[in-house]
Amino acid sequence: MRPARPDVTSSAGLVGGEKGTTVKMASPKTLPKDAQVMIQILKDMGITEYEPRVINQMLEFTYRYVTTIIEDAKIYATHAKKSSVDADDIRLAIQCRMDQSFTSPPPRDFLLEVARQKNQTPLPLIKPYAGPRLPPDRYCLTAPNYRLKSLQKKVSSSAGRITVPRLSVGAVSSRPSTPTLGTPAVQTMGSKVGTPVSLTGQRFTVQIPSSQAPSVKTATPSTPGAVQNVLINPSLIGSKNILITTNMVSQNSSSDSGSLKRKHEDDDDYDAL
Amino acid sequence: MAAVQDGGSEPEGEKEPQPELPSDGSSAPAATPASKPEEQQQQQQQTLLAVLQFLKRNKLIESVDALRREAGLADEPDEAPGSEAGGGVGGAAAGSADSADASALLSRVAGAAQSGAASAPCNISFSSIVLFIVLSVGGEDQPDVSVVLSAYSQQGDPSLYQVYYSGLKKFIESVLDCHRAELSQLFYPLFVHMYLELVYNNHESEAKAFFEKFSGDQECYYQDDLRVLSGLTKKEHMKGNETLLDFRTSKFVLRISRDSYQLLKRHLQERQNNQIWNIIQEHLYIDIFDGMPRSKSQIDSMSGSLAGEARREANKAKVFYGLLKEPEIEVPLDDEDEEAENEEGKPKKKKPKKDSMGSKSKKQDPNAPQQNRIPLPELKDSDKLDKIMYMKEATKRIRLGPETLPSICFYTFLNVYQGLTAVDFTDDSSLIAGGFADSTVRVWSVTPKKLRKVKSAADLSLIDKESDDVLERIMDEKTASESKILYGHSGPVYGVSFSPDRNYLLSSSEDGTVRLWSLQTFTCLVAYKGHNYPVWDTQFSPYGYYFVSGGHDRVARLWATDHYQPLRMFAGHLGDITCTRFHPNSNYVATGSADRTIRLWDVLNGHCVRVFTGHKGPIHSLAFSPNGKYLASGSTDGRVLLWDLGHGLMIGELKGHTDTVYALKFSRDGEILASGSMDNTVRLWDAFKAFDDVETDDFTAATGHIHLPDNSQELLLGTYLTKATPVIHLHFTRRNLLLAAGSYNSQ
Repeated sequence: MRPARPDVTSSAGLVGGEKGTTVKMASPKTLPKDAQVMIQILKDMGITEYEPRVINQMLEFTYRYVTTIIEDAKIYATHAKKSSVDADDIRLAIQCRMDQSFTSPPPRDFLLEVARQKNQTPLPLIKPYAGPRLPPDRYCLTAPNYRLKSLQKKVSSSAGRITVPRLSVGAVSSRPSTPTLGTPAVQTMGSKVGTPVSLTGQRFTVQIPSSQAPSVKTATPSTPGAVQNVLINPSLIGSKNILITTNMVSQNSSSDSGSLKRKHEDDDDYDAL
Repeated sequence: MAAVQDGGSEPEGEKEPQPELPSDGSSAPAATPASKPEEQQQQQQQTLLAVLQFLKRNKLIESVDALRREAGLADEPDEAPGSEAGGGVGGAAAGSADSADASALLSRVAGAAQSGAASAPCNISFSSIVLFIVLSVGGEDQPDVSVVLSAYSQQGDPSLYQVYYSGLKKFIESVLDCHRAELSQLFYPLFVHMYLELVYNNHESEAKAFFEKFSGDQECYYQDDLRVLSGLTKKEHMKGNETLLDFRTSKFVLRISRDSYQLLKRHLQERQNNQIWNIIQEHLYIDIFDGMPRSKSQIDSMSGSLAGEARREANKAKVFYGLLKEPEIEVPLDDEDEEAENEEGKPKKKKPKKDSMGSKSKKQDPNAPQQNRIPLPELKDSDKLDKIMYMKEATKRIRLGPETLPSICFYTFLNVYQGLTAVDFTDDSSLIAGGFADSTVRVWSVTPKKLRKVKSAADLSLIDKESDDVLERIMDEKTASESKILYGHSGPVYGVSFSPDRNYLLSSSEDGTVRLWSLQTFTCLVAYKGHNYPVWDTQFSPYGYYFVSGGHDRVARLWATDHYQPLRMFAGHLGDITCTRFHPNSNYVATGSADRTIRLWDVLNGHCVRVFTGHKGPIHSLAFSPNGKYLASGSTDGRVLLWDLGHGLMIGELKGHTDTVYALKFSRDGEILASGSMDNTVRLWDAFKAFDDVETDDFTAATGHIHLPDNSQELLLGTYLTKATPVIHLHFTRRNLLLAAGSYNSQ
């Protein structure tokens, strides 16, 4: 259920404790040699039940790892102006890769020392009546991650473009990088401190009280999001509504007609605020 | 250790990390009485001289001067280094006949300093000596980790290892029966350390032969470790393996009676080649007790962990296992409430209702912590309302027992294809959260009431804030749905936990973060970063505000929701922490680990107050009894063990499951323990009876020996099979209905 590294316990993460299908594979004669070796390795490590795809996954990992190491070693060899790759280069390549990808947790005595220092400070007192107890805003994911453009915007000349100034909201959100549902999180990760991260789709204000946030769904698919925003505010319902939707649709359909549109969108991007 | 690894760049890393049990005064592995101060001085002196010799030999003059200045030595007598000095330092040096070998000497001192054998006062100077050495040598032939492993330098002729081991085997087989079981404990740690020594010193063929010859003799519950070892044939393999390094640096603890120990000592010191004696002194800690030697079954029940058993001192600290007093809340009585609770059923009369489990006396329970021992959040009005609801539900609670078993309602997750990795219920059983391998967290409503989000700010400004049902009005009806999906993690979600006030949800994931989600807006509020490795479990404190998380980095962290860094770090385990649970009084945290031990940590100061060994596999579930006195644990070996927190002993063993026990829960009053396992069953055990037997026993607390009655069959009240659904989570509702959750496994 919870994968553990193969060198910690004997149950490989990929197979876990689940009862997978028993190995139903072609007879060993017809399997390539690498696969036979892999099966033997799994047997030696005590893994008896695994799905047949595990062999492929392990082989793929092995192949990828070995080629990465050898490519790195080649780079080091050429850097050292050697004519051929030798064992030292391989050793160096392995070492660098280990430090980068296959790091291991800190050693125990280091942890004990750090823990000792951390545990010396007394527990902080709790302020009463503080509302939701969250860290300072810069450590939270509760700030908005977008800005709205100002409402005063020059009317563009293209027929297919949105002419209503208010729909600059739509222009903003129709940037090509349409985030998927997972993206706000990605943006969160990327933007450490200071860059606000999305919360609510409030049309007028930029700062959002931390207590509210609609689900990610409303913020992300940008085009329907814009429409939703517009719909919420009753003053925009009406003839403009239809105009809006068709524009959205036309934008979508002609998105690959491209370069002209892109340039416009670049122009529209980010007013100086 | 940090200093040594970084080449001494951090001055504060210099301090020798205190061994986790500071009462190590008599930690000399030979368990000799605590060395007198003069002896310590002697050892220190000799080590210093040894170091000076080494430095001179390597022509590191400046270091010599610096060290001499530091140590305050006026002159340098010309003595041979490393003579026998009884303690760990001397013991390590004794084996080096080739004292001219500088690296061996370095490793002796380094190994000794790190293995913490020296008693506390010597620690600081030893580590500064080590630091000097490392700086002076400049790391030319001492890459960081090698210093850690260097205590495995040659103890003797590699080809003779088999002879030594067979010799010991023969001896142990020849002793009296009563001693044989105890002395057989030596086999496994000796085998591992000797094998690792051979591997470290590049005697690959001898290591393989040694392994093949003797690995079959070891106990069956060590087979997993042996398999890992069998794949480890070269020195390079040892470097990346954290568990192995920890195994090497921490001493394997054996508990042997005095008589058996005398026998052993006499035998090993008789012989000329006492290599085994050296190994024992260096790597093993023999906890001697006075009394009858233990039987095989007693030993088997307590052993199995990666570092042997727990020392007696580890379980001596006082644990406040009592519950905190419930605050007195005035409950407005309605007419429809049962009159059984109080005679005056009048709605106007207010009478504080006590929690059904709370103590009736006003006096402080001596076993309970002070109310303000750790700061806890105050009760808000909403919390008070919750408590009132709780008490009302408690009156309708069914009393369970061997005659009245709970009904079990099973929530099966379909179409998950083994992707369900964590489940949690709220305390009032109104919401279920599931953590999945596709990195999502989903929340479902168990009751017909749907899940709603709070309205956006514009809409909130429009509502009437003075109306009575303002809490309903802030919810946006348009967003009502049966379930909500929470996106944010970038790896499988291995732990979920609701806050007691149902406002927050925690989730911990393989991406190393713990995320706090709001259940009002269904968005992520905070991502707590600290573990840089998968976090296997997390749990909110029973009072909210604090939460604990534990993961692959072998450290459990205590956080508060309003601090972006952890408040406490609980370090000490040798393997990944797979399960973390709060004690009902929120003052202690129990962690179960892949090193097969359970540790109880004090939240106030981060100390480890209990170490429980006995499981033979990684521990995957923990449950505190509602009265706070007992702990139940389940692991991959299918056994459920019961522990008494006050005395620090194992008091019960429940055998019956055939596969990993992933879920454990006590009923609301502690009468029944429910366990759910990968073998698709839920089993109910009679907890009262299991703990009752214990009360009458006379604890041999001095020696810590227990005779566990083999009464699993009597305690088993029922076994309930699911068709093909492993049970991942169990939860007793407030009225003692048992809810279970798992994902249907169609294969």
